[in-house]
Amino acid sequence: MSEKPPLLASAMSAPTSKQALRKLFLTLFLRGRGARGLQRSNAPKSVGQKLFLTLLFYLLFGCMALTMSQQPVFALAIYLHAMTFAFLSMFVAASAGEILFNKEEADILLHRPIEPKTMLWAKIRVLVEISLWIAFAFNLAGIFAGLGAPDGGWRFPIAHIISTIFEALFCVGCVVLVYQLCLRWFGRERLEGLMTTAQVFVTIGAVLSAQILPRLVFRFHHVLTASESSAWIIFLPPAWFAGFDDALSGSATPLSWLLGGMAAAFTVIVLWLAFGKLAHSYEAGLQVLNETARQPKRRGRRWLEIFVNAPPLRWWLHNPVERASFLLTAAYLFRDRDTKLRIYPGIAPMLILPFIFLMQSSGNAGSFGVAFSGGYLGLIPLIGLNTLQYSQQWQASDIFRSAPIIGPASICHGARRAILCLLTLPVLIFFALLCIFIHPQVSTLWLLLPGIVTLPVYALVPAAIGRAVPLSSPIEEAKSAGRGLTMVLVMFISIGLSFLASFAWDGGWFWEFFVIETTASIVVYFFMRALLNRVRWKSAE
Amino acid sequence: MIEVNQLTKRFGTQTAVDSLSLQIPAGQIVGFLGPNGAGKSTTLKMLTGMIEPTSGSATICGFDLQREPIEVKRHVGFVPESGAVFESLTGLEYLEMVAALYGIPSGAARARIEQFITFFDLSFETLTDKLLGAYSKGMRRKVVITSALLHNPPVVFFDEPLDGLDANAAVGFKALIQTLAREGKTIVYSSHILDVVERVCHRVIIIDKGKLLLDGKPEELVAQHNSGTLEKLFTQLTGGDELERRAEDFAKTFRA
Repeated sequence: MSEKPPLLASAMSAPTSKQALRKLFLTLFLRGRGARGLQRSNAPKSVGQKLFLTLLFYLLFGCMALTMSQQPVFALAIYLHAMTFAFLSMFVAASAGEILFNKEEADILLHRPIEPKTMLWAKIRVLVEISLWIAFAFNLAGIFAGLGAPDGGWRFPIAHIISTIFEALFCVGCVVLVYQLCLRWFGRERLEGLMTTAQVFVTIGAVLSAQILPRLVFRFHHVLTASESSAWIIFLPPAWFAGFDDALSGSATPLSWLLGGMAAAFTVIVLWLAFGKLAHSYEAGLQVLNETARQPKRRGRRWLEIFVNAPPLRWWLHNPVERASFLLTAAYLFRDRDTKLRIYPGIAPMLILPFIFLMQSSGNAGSFGVAFSGGYLGLIPLIGLNTLQYSQQWQASDIFRSAPIIGPASICHGARRAILCLLTLPVLIFFALLCIFIHPQVSTLWLLLPGIVTLPVYALVPAAIGRAVPLSSPIEEAKSAGRGLTMVLVMFISIGLSFLASFAWDGGWFWEFFVIETTASIVVYFFMRALLNRVRWKSAE
Repeated sequence: MIEVNQLTKRFGTQTAVDSLSLQIPAGQIVGFLGPNGAGKSTTLKMLTGMIEPTSGSATICGFDLQREPIEVKRHVGFVPESGAVFESLTGLEYLEMVAALYGIPSGAARARIEQFITFFDLSFETLTDKLLGAYSKGMRRKVVITSALLHNPPVVFFDEPLDGLDANAAVGFKALIQTLAREGKTIVYSSHILDVVERVCHRVIIIDKGKLLLDGKPEELVAQHNSGTLEKLFTQLTGGDELERRAEDFAKTFRA
């Protein structure tokens, strides 16, 4: 061995397993778990830089609270806590499954002398720590806004910091509790499937809760106070924490005291249940993930194969490669825990906005809401394909390169058609039914068409730039900023088209607009398709 | 050192390990063999406290697996077949983390890591600068083996330890486990490379479908069954004797 620097530094005492685990999970969280195949430059070794950028984003986003500096404490706190609740719940829901029940870490840690409770606490501590950083970054501007509130003052920052800590603990506790209850009620065998469902529902609940409350603030023309609120506000958790702020530093009405009391009581109850009463379920959950039980025979695969090999799908999927790629994508969408945990909770929040627009558009001026719902659906294939590109099993995609296929086009076509068929179509049907329910006149459904015709184009966006080969990239590469920009661009185009469609509908020239849009979509589609068909495999380095 | 009594593991209706009983004294290297799906890895995972047995009991170094799992884990080292590591840590970060979990002071841990670096001929820069995800399979395996031995356990379970190791490292590894056994450590060595097992192990245990088929010294078992080599004995016992005919059938499908 060549000459090396002295490895033996100082003979320090051993860190405890608690400290070692906390450091481990924090590092893993910030760097990501899978670094296999990453270039050194891509590997997120710079923990501080990544954290700084994330917190800066939340800090800047939180500055919107400054526009509410002249509002009562309760209105401001409702906004701050609703948004914090959404951010934290989504963050915890997205991270908890991976952090709490990571299958890969079983082989590394389960044979080490660590109490399951110690491991659980180390993970929870990391989740709470990061939640608090996010919460404080987002709430920093709001704290200053609260100082200037008509009924606010110096007590607001103190009250708000305490309530935000409660809120972070509550969010983490709730998500952990959901997993523990799934284990307890449905058994260890069904844990993996339930985790995805639980995560999707937590995400939807969080986003809905966060969307409803700020709208309530606007409904009351920004002067909502605890005393003016409807009684049902007590069912929305962010309102409890806002009540805590209002009780200690605002109007201190009986309702705000009640809400504040609920915030403290429910936080304590959730923590006790999640980390005290049900903590022993955690060990059972870890062990079951490590057991390689024989899977029951699956019957779903057969019908899908029949479906793919029969018209009309067979006409759409031109060759065996496209059909194989369709089936592969379907298998991962339905079976792979990692893929499911990223795709469905990723799509869920995107559906909330069109849902809310649709609900709000039940009046006469509802054309934009329907058109927007249709246009926004374009994001689903985009998110689906972008997410599907990343997998822990990305090295298996070498088989695509070693097969006698000149480029990734056929594989991309199969994958995007699976996403359109299995992911986008059900959502589209759901929104169409919702439209019929909200707008009894069926003619309104035509407004969904401008969105629908753009779906094939949006689904080609990731593929046309040669990046949508399913399951072909390490998960850590998913964090590049380029994808975010594409998403924002597509979102703006969708909103623009929805606005035009709505304007055309109200102006009586909807069908002319639709013909032009369809023609343009067809041209763009064939152009992008030709672009994709010309893509060749890049050198796999 | 290791006492296993009627150890059983069922996954639903499937029995992975069926009433397995065995005793392994200190200083012995035991080859733990069986075809794919025989229950080897499940047995090793039970003995290292990673999964819970359905029934039966086991003691390791006098500690009961079910009543004192943490003590058992403190006394065993395990190299899992998967060779899983936290890929976003550097090799040194990973080994220091493992050392901390066993309460090894930093100074002592680094001294031991130094010894393993020398033994496996790893470069220090690799260990400190590269993330484990960027290591080759063999290098990752060396780190995993180091992490299993870092706390100087009296019992070590190896599940396919040579997977990915180059020829030199494999030779060195075989010498290492023989040295460890001479110092009184108990080694359970699960592998499909039967000639290595035959040369290195004092005793061979063969299981199939979760049941114990044979237990004894390799040379005695080979002589008793008149099979010539351990490989032939293994194929006789586990239904692999028709492999040549099956290979011929397989080739025929392509000729057709």
